[in-house]
Amino acid sequence: MWSGFAVVFEPQNLLYCLLGVTLGMLVGVLPGLGPAATIAILLPITYDLEPAPAIILLAGIFYGAQYGGTITSVLLRLPGEASTVVTVLDGHELARQGRAGSALGIAAVGSFIGGTASIVVLSLVAPFVADFALKFGPPEYAVLGVIGIFLVATLGNGSLVKGIAAAAAGLLLATVGSDPMVGAPRFVFGSDQLADGIDFVIVAMGVFGVGEILYNLEHRHRESARVPSFGRAWPTWVEWLQSKWAVLRGAVVGFLLGVLPGGGATMSSLVAYAVEKRSAADPSRFGRGAIEGVAGPETANNAAATSSFIPLLVLGLPANATMAVLFGALTLQGVPPGPSLIDDHPDVFWGVIDSMYIGNVFLLLFSVPLIGIFVRLLRVRPGILAPLTMLVTMIGVYSIRNNVFDLFLVLGLGVIGYGMKKLGFEPGPFVLAFVLGDILESAFRRSMRMFGGDLTGFLHRPIAASLLVFLVGSVVVVSVFRRYRNGKHSRPLLSRR
Amino acid sequence: MTRLAGVLPALLGLLAAWGAIALGLGSVTDPGPGLWPFVTAVLLLGTGIAIAVRPPDDTEPFCRGTAGVLLAVAGLGGYAAVIEHVGFEIPTVVLLAVWLRFLGAESWVVTVVVALLATTAAHLLFIAGLGVPLPHLFGA
Repeated sequence: MWSGFAVVFEPQNLLYCLLGVTLGMLVGVLPGLGPAATIAILLPITYDLEPAPAIILLAGIFYGAQYGGTITSVLLRLPGEASTVVTVLDGHELARQGRAGSALGIAAVGSFIGGTASIVVLSLVAPFVADFALKFGPPEYAVLGVIGIFLVATLGNGSLVKGIAAAAAGLLLATVGSDPMVGAPRFVFGSDQLADGIDFVIVAMGVFGVGEILYNLEHRHRESARVPSFGRAWPTWVEWLQSKWAVLRGAVVGFLLGVLPGGGATMSSLVAYAVEKRSAADPSRFGRGAIEGVAGPETANNAAATSSFIPLLVLGLPANATMAVLFGALTLQGVPPGPSLIDDHPDVFWGVIDSMYIGNVFLLLFSVPLIGIFVRLLRVRPGILAPLTMLVTMIGVYSIRNNVFDLFLVLGLGVIGYGMKKLGFEPGPFVLAFVLGDILESAFRRSMRMFGGDLTGFLHRPIAASLLVFLVGSVVVVSVFRRYRNGKHSRPLLSRR
Repeated sequence: MTRLAGVLPALLGLLAAWGAIALGLGSVTDPGPGLWPFVTAVLLLGTGIAIAVRPPDDTEPFCRGTAGVLLAVAGLGGYAAVIEHVGFEIPTVVLLAVWLRFLGAESWVVTVVVALLATTAAHLLFIAGLGVPLPHLFGA
C-alpha cells in the first residue's frame, strides 16, 4: 500500500491527479455532460500515458464530479450530476436563507470524510477480496456477470423491462466481430472494419458523448440564473455538531451501496437522504433547509463513488456506467482489472487507490475557493460549448485508428444513444452489457464445456451456487424495492437529468 | 411513440435471432458461433414484445428541437465524408459555423470568431502539438 504513495508523489502523477479532479469538478458543475461521457471523450488522450497516470487522471474526473455537482445544486437549483439531485431539496433552501456557505462547506467536508473513509476500508478489504476471487472459475464469473448486468439494468431510474432490453441490446452488439472461441465472423456484413469487433471506446464515446450532446441540443432551456451571494463556505460549529451523525451514516450507506452493482453514487445519495429524514427528530424540517439533508447525501455519494472501485479493481466487474468506461480504459492500457491486478500491477492498483487520498485533499482544499470561478463558467453558453465538445470528440475518435469509418460508427452510436434517451431507455446498462458481453459469453461457454452441457453444473460449485442464490434474492428484492418506490413517490425530480 | 419503444427492439431481436440461426447454433455441449447471439436476441425480442404490449409512459415526443438534432447529425455525417478529401480545416470551420449560428442561435460575429479561433486552436493543438495524423491542408 505504501508503494502506492511513492507512485502518487511522482510529480507527473500528482499533476494528473490535480488535473483529473479539477476537470471532474468542472464537468460536475456543467449540467449536461456527465463523468461517464467526459471520461469517454478523454480516453484517446490517455493512450500515450503510462497506465498509472492514465487511470489516476480518469478516476479523478469521476470522484471530482461528485464535488462539482453539489455547487450548482446548492447555488442555482441546477444539479450538475444525477447524484446531487437530492441535494437541491435542502441545499438550495439553505442558500435562499443566506446559508449557501454552510451548505457548500458541509458538503465539501462530508464528501472528504465519506471519500476518505471509503478509501481506508477499500485499502483494507481489497486484498482479501482479491485473494478470495482468485478461486473463481468461468462458472463464478458467468453468474457474477449476470448479477452485475441485472442489477445495473434494474436499479436505474427507468422502467425495469426497458433496462433489461437495453442490456440485451448491449450484449448483442458485443457479439459483432469474431467468435471468441472459434473465431468465426459474426454480424460483420462483409466489412473488414467490423471484423475485429467494435472498439469499446467508440461505443462509449458514441452512446455517452455524442448521444448526450445530441440529446441536450433538444433541451436548451437555460437562462442565466442569478447566483445567490454567500459568505465563507464553511459550516459553523453548531451546524457541524448537527450533521456529524448524518456524515457518519452517509459514509456507511454510501460505502455499502457503492460496492453493489447498479448502486453507485446516485442511489446512495437518495437512500442517505431517506435515512436522514427517517432518523430526524423533526422530519418536517427536511425540504426547508435541514443541514443534515445536505451532509448525508453528499457524504454518501462520495463514499459510493470510491467504493464502486472495489468490484472493478478486484473482480474485474464494473458496477456502473462510469466504471464500465474505466474498465475499458484499463483494458486498453494492457492492465486488465481482476483479482490478479493487485499482484501483477501493484503500482497501478495502489497508485490509483492512494491517488484518491491525495485527490480528496485537493478537492477539499480547492473546491471551496474555486466555487466563484466555476459558477462564472456556467455563463459559457451551451450553444458554444456543444459544438466544441463535438469537435474534440470527432478528432479523438479519428485519432484512435486514423480511420473515417470510425467517425460514421461513432455518429451512428450517438444517434442510438440519443434515440434510447428519447424512447426512455437508459444508455448505462447498454454500455455496461457491451463491456461485459465478451467476458460473459466466454465464461458461459467454458462453463458449459466444463459441465458437459448440463446447466445444473452451476449448482454443484459452492461459490457459484451461493452467487445464484444471491441473484435470485436480488431479483426478489429489486421487484419489491421498485414496487415500494414507485408506489411511494412517483420519481419527482429524478426522471431526467 | 410509446409502442415504438417496444416494436424497435423486438424487430431488432427478430432479425438478430434469424442471423444467429444462420451462423449455426451448435449444441449446448458444443455451442456454435450463433448460440450466444441467439440467446441475447431472444431476450431482446421478449423484452421488446413486453414493452410493446404494456408500454411504460416514459418516452419523449419528437418536437421542433428534433430538426436541430437531424441537422447536427447530417452536418457530422458530411464532415466525416469529406475530411479525408479536403483536409479537416474547411469542414471544421463550416461545421462549427453552422452549429453555432443555426443550432446555438449565436450572432454572426460570435459565430465567425469562435469558428475560426477554434479551428486554429485545434490545428495547433492536435496537428502541431500532439501530432495526430488528421488529414490537413496547412502545415507539414
